[in-house]
This record gives sequence, C-alpha cells and structure tokens, in this order.
Amino acid sequence: MAQSQEGRNLLAIIGDEDSITGVLLAGIGQVAHNQQKNFVIVDAKTQVSTIESAFNDFTARKDVAILLINQHIAEKIRPTVDKYHQTFPTILEIPSKDHPYDPSKDSILKRVQKLVGD
Amino acid sequence: MEGLFFNVSAGFLEGVLRGYKAGILTQTQYTTLTQCDTLEDFRMQLSATDYGNFLANEPLPISTSTISEKATQLMVDQFQYIRSNAVAPLDKFLDYMTYAYMIDNVILLITGTLHERDTHELLERCHPLGVFDTMPALCVATNVEELFQSVLVETPLAPYFRECLSASDLDDLNIEIIRNTLYKAYLEDFDQFIQTEIGGPTYENMHRILAFEADRRTINITINSFGTELSKEQRARLFPTIGNLYPAGNNLLARADEIDQVRAVCEYVSEYRHFFDVAASSNQGGNRAGGAGTNGHTDDPTSAIAATLEDRFFATEVHLNKLTFLQQFQYSVFFSYFKLKEHEIRSITWIAECIAQDARDRIQDFIPIF
Amino acid sequence: MSGPREAIFPTRMALTNTKLRLKGAQTGHSLLAKKRDALTTRFRAILRKVDDAKRKMGRVMQLASFSLAEVTYATGDISYLVQEQAKTASFRVKAAQENVSGVVLPTFEVDRVPGSDFNLTGLGRGGQQVIKAKEVYAKALETLVELASLQTAFMILDEVIRATNRRVNAIEHVVIPRLENTIKFIISELDEMDREEFYRLKKVQGKKKRDADAAEALKKKLALESGEPAPAPIMEQVDEGPGDLLATKDQDVIF
Repeated sequence: MAQSQEGRNLLAIIGDEDSITGVLLAGIGQVAHNQQKNFVIVDAKTQVSTIESAFNDFTARKDVAILLINQHIAEKIRPTVDKYHQTFPTILEIPSKDHPYDPSKDSILKRVQKLVGD
Repeated sequence: MEGLFFNVSAGFLEGVLRGYKAGILTQTQYTTLTQCDTLEDFRMQLSATDYGNFLANEPLPISTSTISEKATQLMVDQFQYIRSNAVAPLDKFLDYMTYAYMIDNVILLITGTLHERDTHELLERCHPLGVFDTMPALCVATNVEELFQSVLVETPLAPYFRECLSASDLDDLNIEIIRNTLYKAYLEDFDQFIQTEIGGPTYENMHRILAFEADRRTINITINSFGTELSKEQRARLFPTIGNLYPAGNNLLARADEIDQVRAVCEYVSEYRHFFDVAASSNQGGNRAGGAGTNGHTDDPTSAIAATLEDRFFATEVHLNKLTFLQQFQYSVFFSYFKLKEHEIRSITWIAECIAQDARDRIQDFIPIF
Repeated sequence: MSGPREAIFPTRMALTNTKLRLKGAQTGHSLLAKKRDALTTRFRAILRKVDDAKRKMGRVMQLASFSLAEVTYATGDISYLVQEQAKTASFRVKAAQENVSGVVLPTFEVDRVPGSDFNLTGLGRGGQQVIKAKEVYAKALETLVELASLQTAFMILDEVIRATNRRVNAIEHVVIPRLENTIKFIISELDEMDREEFYRLKKVQGKKKRDADAAEALKKKLALESGEPAPAPIMEQVDEGPGDLLATKDQDVIF
C-alpha cells in the first residue's frame, strides 16, 4: 500500500469547462511533451465511452494521486466508478457550477452512510 | 457642414440605432430580473423586454453560458444589419470596431497553433464580431512561422503585427504581451483614423472614450504586472499613447512598483482622482454606480482597491458611452451603443450567474446603464 | 470427538505443544480484538470527518465557481487560453504517512511551487479577478486534497478492519475450537491407552500368579514325593516377590 503512492504527485480532473478552468488557474495543469494532459474536458457532446476511457487512463497512470471528477459526469459512468476499488489514485467527486453537490449519489459517501447507519 | 449631409448617408441607420438604444434594459427591468428565483423565471422576465423570445427554443436547464451566447448573437445580428447598410465613412468606422474582437480571435488562434491543436474547433470559440474572411485560412497554418508569413499578413490586423512584432517574437513572447501590444497599436490607429477621416464631433466623443480606454489599460497593466516577470521596459511598451495620462503619467506608471504610486499618478487627472478616493476610503458605500464593488472580504489592500477599480472603470465607461447619445449627426453613437449592449450582456450574465449559484448578496454588483 | 481437529499423533509431547498453541491463539485473539477496536474508533472519527468534509466541499466549490464568474464578468471567457497555457503543474501533492495501530495511512499534503503559467492572464483587464480566482480555487483544492486523504484513509482502514475482523473471527470460530478439539482428542486417546495398559498389566499379573500357583503345586507335589527338598520352593517364592511389587507400583503410577 505504502509503496504504490511513491511518485504520485499530480492531480487529474475530468470535468466541465468551468471546473477545469478553475483548477487549472490554481495550477494543477501538467502537459507532457507528447500533449498528454492531466485534464479532460467533457461537454454535452462528449461520448460516454470517451469519458470512460479517460477515467480508465487516469486511474491507470502512475503519477496521479487524486482524480477529480464532476459529479454529473461521474453519474454518466456510475457503474465504472462504483466498480473502482483501488486505493490509488483516490477518486473525488466534486460539484460543478451548474450541478450542485448531491451527497446521496457519491459512491464513497454511499458506503460511508451504510457504515454509519449500522 | 457634415451635419448637413449626415442624414443622407447615415440618418436612417442612426434612427435604427437610437431605436435599438431604447431597448436597452432600464433600472426597473433590472430590479425585476434580480428578483427572479430560478433561471426559468429569469427567461420569462427577459422575454418581456427587447430580448423577446431569444431563449424560447433552448432546452432546459438553461446554462448561463447559453444566455450570454444567445444575447451576444442578438447583438451581432444588429451589428451585421447596420454594417451591411452602412456607407463610407461609417462602414470603415464599424470595421474598426470589429478589429478589437479580431485581436482576441487571432490571439486565440495563435495560442492554438502554438500548442498544435486542431484549429477548426477554435473557430467556434471565436467572437462572432471578430470573424473576418481569411480567418478560416488561419487553420491551414501548422506552425507560427507559416501563420505569420502567409496568413496574418492578409488580415486587417497585418499592419499592427508588422509594426510591433516579428515572426520570431511570436514564438517566445508571452501571448498576453502580444495581445496587449496589438491592442495598443489598434487603439492608436483607431484614434488616428477617426481624427483624419471623420473628425468633428465624432472625434471629440470618440477620443474621450478611446483615451479613457487607453488609460484604463495603462493602469490595469501597471497594477496587474506587479510581482510578475514582466519587466518595466516591456510594461512601458504596452501603454497606449493616446490617453489623458500620456506622456507624463505613462512614464511614471512605467516605473511604479506599488498601488500608491499608481494612485499618485491618477491624482493629476481629475476624472480619475475619485477612483482611488472612494476605493480606498470605503469599499461599500459612496458608490455612484449603485452597489458596485463590494469586495469586503479581500484582505490584501492592493487587490481590494484594484477589484473596486475595475468596477469603477466599467461605470465610467458606461457613463462616457451614454454621453455620446446627447449629440446628433455623429458616428460615435454606433460605437457607444454596441459597447453598452456588450455591457448589458455582461450584466445579464452576471445576474443569471448569481441566480444559478444562489449568490443573492452579490446580485446587485452589476452596473446598470439607465 | 465432535468438530474438526488437527491430524496429530496423540502423545504427551503433542498435548503440551497444542496447549501452548491454544494459549498463543487466545492471546492473539485478544490482541487483534484490541486492534480492531482501536481501528474502529479511528474509522468512526474519519467517517464523520469525511461526511462533514464532503458537505463542506459543496460550499467551497460554489464559492470558487462564483469567483470564476467574477472573472468572466471582468475579462470575458478565458477558459481556452488557460487550457492552452497550462504547462507544468505548480499545484502538486506530496504523500506523507501516518501510523494508526500498525496501519500505514497515506495522507496527501499540498505542495505548491510558485508557477508563472498564468501570471499575465488578464493583463489588460480583470487581472485582479484572475488572481483572486486563482487563490480561491487553490484554497478549494486544498480542501479537496484534505478530503482526498481522508477518503484514502477511509478506504484503507475499511479494508484493514475487514481483514482484522476476518482474522478475529477466524481465530475465535475456527482456530480455537479446533485446538480445543485436538486437546480433548489427545487426552481421551491417552486415557484410553492408559486403560488398555492397566488391563494388560492386570492380565499379565493374573497369568503370572496362575503360573506361580501351578509351579508351587508342582513343587509341593514333588516335595511330598521326595519328602526332602522342602526349603527350595521358599527360595523360589522370594524370587517371585519383585514381580508382585512391580505390579503394585505400576498401579500407583497410573492412578
């Protein structure tokens, strides 16, 4: 467990344009020479398969510590997110401008509530 | 003399334009808009205004960006109508207005080319007013050298590029510096054009607006370059030379290191004096534009002043543009109307944003026109 | 002899060993149970924090996106420029470790290096709003990073607690009963062996007695016939004595 986090120091994001602009302003953007980015913009036209492959790419990368994903986008690939059980990178569902945060949809929070409940 | 022949060529258009101007939202309409609870309500209230049913065919939920996009489209349509009916020298005057948007578009395309992005998707992001015939040709260029040699020289902006930049500059200069260099050249050229080609009351009005715009850029560039790698010589080169602050103020600003020095420079110009007065004394009240700039929670004095300053600039810009409507038989109303309209769209977007994000306390922070 | 037991040869040695193992298993059980309790306490605390932080995040992100709206108001749309100008991450995370009852929990720490990617964005106008939005977003991201560490801790603890629970239960319900069964089995087998041994010895003794009686009778008969060597059988009788003694001793040892 402890070893796998070595060298993971980037944040990655899958989100809508506004969320991405914001976090990029904060300075998380990392673009490699081969144009490999650590952010993927999703808009209304983006295919679900594209989101899924982006999700899988980021979770497979060795330098990503935290993966941020807009909740309404996570909603589109909910089965994939629910299936994800790796410790690293950590998946964090964040609200977006047009979609306020709904705790009841969060994969992690669902587990939390199940555990707190019993 | 030119008042005598004005109506022959531009009387109709001025009439149309003043008609448009009557459609600008009033304070009462703004008040109604700010009381909406949802964007749904907002759309309904807007349909009672001059905007009409421009959002009627939009699928729910409406995003704020859609509102701003559609409103801009409306403005562009008005502009196109006027432009297509314009005769000399108004057509050239209107063309000059579009150059400002062209600069932004060209900068966008250069950025895209620098990063080897597909330039076709960039075209969709360009401001519709800044579209020019050869713009799609920009997409052909694959590197900056090519872009400069074969494409940019064909655009109306070519003189600006030629004067201040060489192909090698495009590669290593920061894109923002290029943008501001171009803008400076544009402002100076626009001012020159009006003075020589049109003159008269148009020039009087336009010069006032352009000089203010120039000063605003000078002050902003100064404040925003504190603490960045922009050297003082570079900074000085970005200052437009047509403002009220030019030349003494520009020289002082070029050497300024902190906000107090900027304030001292602005003391010399009576119009700008109150910007800092009110900004420094209180962020809340004493605000003639009505509730603008309540940045009470910012601790850093520089950013607090600068943020309020920005609102003050907007307010002054609106004020200056409103003044031009007091005179007839001159072209600056065309410029002013579209500036005001643009401003109105910004305010509408702001209100929509506040409604969407439930930030009621900030909803008054726009600048009404009438 | 119910339930599973270990395949072991019932000897006294094995009995001692098994008893030791049972003791070990009981100690292990109580230690693991303590660990589980400690982890669960921690886990509950983290659960609450995760819950709180997730809700707080909603507000923080709202503030952040609002500051972006301010930028849009002052500057116009900057998203594309920002996307294109991103080169190197200046906001990174650094992993540190925390130890809770022998479980290594990674925590993320914000690691910001001064970057100048967007220093000049909004130079012409709106620069201050851009700076402000940058700060607000950086703060929001800090909250997110904090939340991410909590969430990671939550996931790891969840897993560890499950593993510990499995172990505790396995010891309680599998290992200990099996060891107890083994001990019972060994003891009963040993008892059985003792009883068999006792019976065998009894038999041997009875047989020896019978043989001795027969020999005596034969000697008496011979003495009567000869009338002379009467004292010899007495000597024989003395020789038989130790056999008898041995039998009694054994009996004592057994019981």
